[in-house]
Amino acid sequence: MADFEIRDLRASVEGRQILKGVSLSISKGEVHAVMGPNGSGKSTLSHTLMGHPGYTVDGGVVTFKGQNVLELEPDERARLGMFLAFQYPVVVPGISMTNFLRTALNAKRGYDGKDKSKQIAPKEFRSMLKDELDVLHMDDSFLPRYINDGFSGGEKKRAEILQMAMLRPEIAILDETDSGLDIDSIKFVAEAVNRMRGPDLGVLIITHYTRILEFIKPDFVHVLVDGKFVLSGGAEIADRLEKTGYSEWVTEEEPKEVA
Amino acid sequence: MGLTSESLEKSLLQGEPGWLRERRQTALAAYERLPLPAKTDEEWRRTDVSRFNPADFSQLEHLDGLKLERPAGLPAGVILQPLRMAAMEHPELIEPRLFTLVHGDRDRFAALHAAFFTGGTFLYVPDGVEIDEPILGQHFSHHDGTSVLPHTLIVAGRGARFNYLDEYIADNESETGHRSGSTEIFLGEGSQVGYVAVQKWGRNVWHFADQRAELQKDSTLRLFNVTLGGKFSKTRVEASLAGEGSNAELKAIYFASADQFFDFHTLQDHRVGNTRSDLLFKGALQDVSRTVYAGLIRIAKHAARSDAYQANRNLVLSDKAKATSIPMLEIDNNDVRCTHGATVGPVDPEHLFYLRSRGIPESTAKRMLIQGFFGDVLDRIPFEHARKLVEAELESRIG
Repeated sequence: MADFEIRDLRASVEGRQILKGVSLSISKGEVHAVMGPNGSGKSTLSHTLMGHPGYTVDGGVVTFKGQNVLELEPDERARLGMFLAFQYPVVVPGISMTNFLRTALNAKRGYDGKDKSKQIAPKEFRSMLKDELDVLHMDDSFLPRYINDGFSGGEKKRAEILQMAMLRPEIAILDETDSGLDIDSIKFVAEAVNRMRGPDLGVLIITHYTRILEFIKPDFVHVLVDGKFVLSGGAEIADRLEKTGYSEWVTEEEPKEVA
Repeated sequence: MGLTSESLEKSLLQGEPGWLRERRQTALAAYERLPLPAKTDEEWRRTDVSRFNPADFSQLEHLDGLKLERPAGLPAGVILQPLRMAAMEHPELIEPRLFTLVHGDRDRFAALHAAFFTGGTFLYVPDGVEIDEPILGQHFSHHDGTSVLPHTLIVAGRGARFNYLDEYIADNESETGHRSGSTEIFLGEGSQVGYVAVQKWGRNVWHFADQRAELQKDSTLRLFNVTLGGKFSKTRVEASLAGEGSNAELKAIYFASADQFFDFHTLQDHRVGNTRSDLLFKGALQDVSRTVYAGLIRIAKHAARSDAYQANRNLVLSDKAKATSIPMLEIDNNDVRCTHGATVGPVDPEHLFYLRSRGIPESTAKRMLIQGFFGDVLDRIPFEHARKLVEAELESRIG
C-alpha cells in the first residue's frame, strides 16, 4: 500500500455530488499532478482531503499512517503530516504571520500551552524562518503583517509555500498554486518545492494549466473530468494536454487565467 | 440607612463647601423626582433596570477609595488629588465645571451618582504643560453589597499634553453592589489628552457610567473604554466638538460572557465645523450574554466640513448570545463626510479552517481569532501602560 491512499472518494457540496469515485496512491518521494478543466472537482478534492466543513464525504477512504483521515479534524490531519497550499489564501486580520507560523509550528510539535519544553526556541524559529525566506526571495517585512493582509497574489502564494517549508509535511497538496502568479514567483515557488522534494515528501499538485509542471516535474499525471479520473500516466500526459487542452473530454471555452 | 437627605448629610456633606453641598442636594432631589426610565424611552427600550433597587446598596464605600499613582517629577502647577479634597482646596477650578458636562438630572442613575459620588480624581494640567509618563488612577471596591461611585474631573489647559488611566477594580470577582465611574474631560485649545477607562468590577454589580468630553479649538482626545465587569453595565461615551479643528477618537472594546448585559450609548456631537470624530466600538460575546450599542452622530447646521466615522463590530461566539447595534445620524449640513456601519456575526468559518489546516487546534484557533478581532483597536490604546494592562486582561478572559 502506498503511503497516502485515496480509495473511491465521493464528495458533494450543498447536496450536489462532485467527486464520483476518485482513487489515487501517493508514495513519499513522488510528485503527482491532478489536472482538469473548470468544474471537474479539483477544488473539491483538495478541500475534502483537508476536511473543509463545507464539503460532505459521501463515501470512500483516505488512508495515511494507518488512519482514515476522513474521520479526523482538519487540525489533526495537519498534525499528522498533511498540508494544503490554498488556491485562495485567506486574509485573517489581527493575527501576524509570525504569530501564526509560530503557533502552527508549536502545535505540530505537540505544544499545548503547558509543556514549554516542546515550544520552539525563538532563536531556532528565527533561523529556520530566515533560511526559508531566502529560498522564496521574500524579506522579513511581511512577518509582522496580518495573515495575507495586503499581500499581492504572488506574495500570498509564496507565503503558502513558506508555511509548507516551515511545517515540513509528508503529504503536500498544492491547489492551483500557479494561478495568479507572475513568472518570477512561479520560479521561486517551484525552487522551494523542488528543494523539499525527496524521500520524505509526497506532493499532489492540482492545476488547470501545465505551466507549473514545467518547473516542478511530476512523476504521474491524472486527468480529472466530472469527478472521475479519465486518464492516468506519466509526465507525457501534461505535454499532451498542453497541445490539446481538455477537448478530448469536454467542450469548454478556454477561460482566461484569473489573476 | 437609605439614600436620603439625612444619610447624605451624615456621610458626605460634612466639611464640604457650600456649593458642593447644594449641588449634591439638588441631584438628590432630581433622583427622588425622576421616575425609572420607561420602556417606551428609546434609550432604555432594550435595557431592563426594573430589578435594580439602589436602596439595596445604600452603604457607601470609602469616601476616598482611590489610589493615585503620582508620577515622579510632576511639573509645577499640575494638580492631582482626590476630587473631594480638590473641591475644598481649588473651588475656583472645580465649581464652574463639576457636573456641567455630565448632568446630574439626566436620569435617575446619573442623579444618584451626582448626589452620592465618592472618591474620584481631579486632574488639572496647566497651559503648555506636557507630561510623558501616564497618570494612573485606581478605584477599588472592597465590600459586597455597597455603592462605589467615583467621579473623575480632568482639565487640560491650552496646549497641555498628557495621558490618564482610570482603572476600576473589584477585590472580589463575585461581588454584588452598585458601581459607577463617570468622567468629565475639558480639553483646552490645542491640548492633547489620552484617556483610558478599564471597568473590571465584579460579576454581579450594576454599573452606570457617563464619560463626556468637551473639546476646544484644535484639541485632540483619544479616549479608550474597556468594559469587562458587571452583571449590568451601561456606559455613555460622548464627545462635544466645540472648537474648530478639534478631533475626538473614541474607541472601546468589550468582552461579555455568562449572563452579562452591556449597554453602550455614544454621541459624536459636532457643534462647529472643521471637526473630526472617529469612533470604533468592538465587542465579543459568549455564552448567553447580551450587548446593545446605540450611537448617534450629530452634525449641527453650521458645522460644515465635519468628518465623522462610526463603527460597531460584534463577534458573537455563541448561538445564545445576542448583540444589537443601532447606528443613528442626525445631520443638518450637506458639506460633511459621514460614514457609519455595524456588523454582528460569528467567527468566520473560513478563517477558522485556514488556521486549523495548519495544525492549530480549534480552541487555540478561536482564541487567536478573538484576539485578532480586537487587534486593530488595541493598537489604538493611547499609551503603552494601558495597552499592556488591557491585553493581559483580555487574554485571561479569552482563556
